[in-house]
Amino acid sequence: MPEVAEGFVGAPKDYFELFQLEPKFDVDIDDLGERFRTLQRRFHPDRYSSGSAAEQRLAAQVSADINAGYQALKDPIARAGHMLELQACDLRTLERQPVSGDFLMQQMHFREAVELLDPSDDEGKSKLAAEAKALMTAELLSFQKAIEKRDYELAGFAWVHLLYLQKLNKEVAGSSDLF
Amino acid sequence: MALLQISEPGAVADQPAERKLALGIDLGTTNSLVAYVSGGDVKVLPDEQGNVCLPSVVHFGVNGTLVGSEADALAISAPHDTIASAKRYLGRSRAELASSGYTKLSETGLAFETSQGPVTPVEVSAQLLGALRDRAQSSTSTPIAGVVITVPAYFDDAQRLATRQAAELSGLNVLRLLNEPTAAAVAYGLDSGEEGVVVVYDLGGGTFDVSILRLERGVFEVLATGGDSTLGGDDFDLRLVDIIRDQAALGALDAAEERALLSCARSTKEALTTASEIEVKLDAVVSGGETVVVTRQQFNSACADLVNRSLDACRQCVADAGVSHIDQIVLVGGSTRMPIIGEVVSTLFGKEPLNSIDPDRVVAMGAARQADLLIGNRDAQDLLLLDVIPLSLGVETYGGLVERIVPRNTTIPVARAQEFTTAKDGQTGLIVHVVQGERERVEDCRSLATFELSGIPPMVAGAARLEVTFQVDADGLLEVRAKEATTQVTASVIVKPAFGLAEDDIAAMLRAGYEHASEDMHARQLAEAKVDAEQLIAGIQAALTSDGDLLSDSEREALETAVNGLVEASQNNDIDDLRKSIDVTGRASELLAARRMDRSIKSALGGISVATLEGEAES
Repeated sequence: MPEVAEGFVGAPKDYFELFQLEPKFDVDIDDLGERFRTLQRRFHPDRYSSGSAAEQRLAAQVSADINAGYQALKDPIARAGHMLELQACDLRTLERQPVSGDFLMQQMHFREAVELLDPSDDEGKSKLAAEAKALMTAELLSFQKAIEKRDYELAGFAWVHLLYLQKLNKEVAGSSDLF
Repeated sequence: MALLQISEPGAVADQPAERKLALGIDLGTTNSLVAYVSGGDVKVLPDEQGNVCLPSVVHFGVNGTLVGSEADALAISAPHDTIASAKRYLGRSRAELASSGYTKLSETGLAFETSQGPVTPVEVSAQLLGALRDRAQSSTSTPIAGVVITVPAYFDDAQRLATRQAAELSGLNVLRLLNEPTAAAVAYGLDSGEEGVVVVYDLGGGTFDVSILRLERGVFEVLATGGDSTLGGDDFDLRLVDIIRDQAALGALDAAEERALLSCARSTKEALTTASEIEVKLDAVVSGGETVVVTRQQFNSACADLVNRSLDACRQCVADAGVSHIDQIVLVGGSTRMPIIGEVVSTLFGKEPLNSIDPDRVVAMGAARQADLLIGNRDAQDLLLLDVIPLSLGVETYGGLVERIVPRNTTIPVARAQEFTTAKDGQTGLIVHVVQGERERVEDCRSLATFELSGIPPMVAGAARLEVTFQVDADGLLEVRAKEATTQVTASVIVKPAFGLAEDDIAAMLRAGYEHASEDMHARQLAEAKVDAEQLIAGIQAALTSDGDLLSDSEREALETAVNGLVEASQNNDIDDLRKSIDVTGRASELLAARRMDRSIKSALGGISVATLEGEAES
């Protein structure tokens, strides 16, 4: 049976460079989307369907990089992780670091509230969703501040908090309707 | 396979190339269609009787093979020799085939036992593809250069591979496997030219797919896809069979009577799309059969759970896509003609579905558009498709659990590297079991293949670092590479597909098929290899002219030597030598190709702004 080794392979690619963006946490999503489409229009394997085998292989590779980069930059939490990786932080180790008791208490309190929520209580639901969203916004801001100050330890803590909040947000949203 | 192009000696190199012909094929569970683009319009090709749908039925009888309606006509009198709905069994295991209702299954492998011996689902599909190719070729003198074949978006790797093998077996050059809902969206997208979010609800004979796409500035991006590969119009037919059986209190029927009852149920279903109740005369099914009345209401309630399964998949897909609204609904597949489908789908999404294109033809039409584009017939309204992988890919780890490598709905092509290590001192080999599916446990996912990595340098347990790269190409097919990271030793990968046919089986079938035509075959292969060589030489020379500065003198010299060798080899008629030389030269050109790609990445986004993007579309 193979053992899955720790972490992904090799040094991470700098996706900010691939998309020719300043390595800043604040990314204009519409602009990123335009860059993504422009790159794919040019390098997708479909554009090389009559090219040589070497060109087709390369196009597949480049196109896969563009896809991976878009995924990494589009979502703020994935982007935060990517920025930490670029500072040689090992995300798997970070993920396991303990969070403060206060943060855990807050999370548990929130979970309880979600569980106790009456499925027909739309008002209560949107109130919780708004609270969860506010926590997320605050944590994104503290990540941004930390990374701008090059305080990667603090940024790492913020990123772990973001992972918790992401799960929480999913749980709150999970009980809602189609649209 | 290369294109055969004959050019005038001394012809101007950059004159516009002649339009090439490529087919779009909808290889359906119950019906298959073929289309191509001619003069800017899509033509769906009819047979001599004017029917565009080829029933996906093949008869393997003592007196020969029949395809389509001729085969279908024998379905009742010779059920064992007549294979219908073979698509349901593509890439499936023997156990799954055994539940197919075909009682005569080959003892040896994954095949139906017929009067012509065992026949695999891949061979059945190859017959259908061959018939469609012949239909298209008889309508034009332009040789067919390639095909795009559609598959359900929900098809897994084994099912996609089996589809590709069927094409290979029928001698077709596959440009791309295209997901059916994506093809349908292309057909509508190009017609309407609108931008926005489109949901495609595709209920075919044997499968149900739902996809959500966004069209923006000529890029069609699949946001999410889902479905149920065991839900189709056939299931609705069976519910109607049950209703009729109950109403008429039918006893035990033989195989021929069962087929007759099924075909009676199908025509009843079609009649109920317009009528609210219908008289079903059963004297054609069993002697002395009575006449019963079936209402649409009865049919709808008997099928409510099937309809709900499709709606659950729609809700999941919307959640996965993360969209807040839907701009268009496209219905695909003959089964969406059932009035209940249109009703529930409009209710769910709060919009009326588009219906300007025949749901039977829309997939083949979109495939034809994409085929035309991929073969190089570009025009101003070039569309780029970005599709996704429908099911997560993972590997088996300790305790029979799945470690997910590529999550579903990831845009393809995608490459993910994962590190593995050894569990014992001095271990030189490793077996990696690749599975596809969403469940946590290996036994609940679909086993795709086992990769055996050997030649790992002996080290203490846990010291070896094996980088395994899982690459999914634009067809949704998986490829695996592996190397040991500390020593850079490349471990060899042996693929053992869990289902379907091994490469050797395909090669043997191809040989058997070509034995009688081996002379022609050799001449054709040589001619194709020569064209390959010419294209490669021309490509390298053009690259050297424009970007020769990217190579050092010695690198340039090495490449030119390889090219000269290829020029020489293409003047002889030794095909093995020529192929080897093409391979060597191709590899020699990789460095230049990589540096050119790098240079163009750097220039691609130069001075980008939304305002200038409109003009950036050319490649």
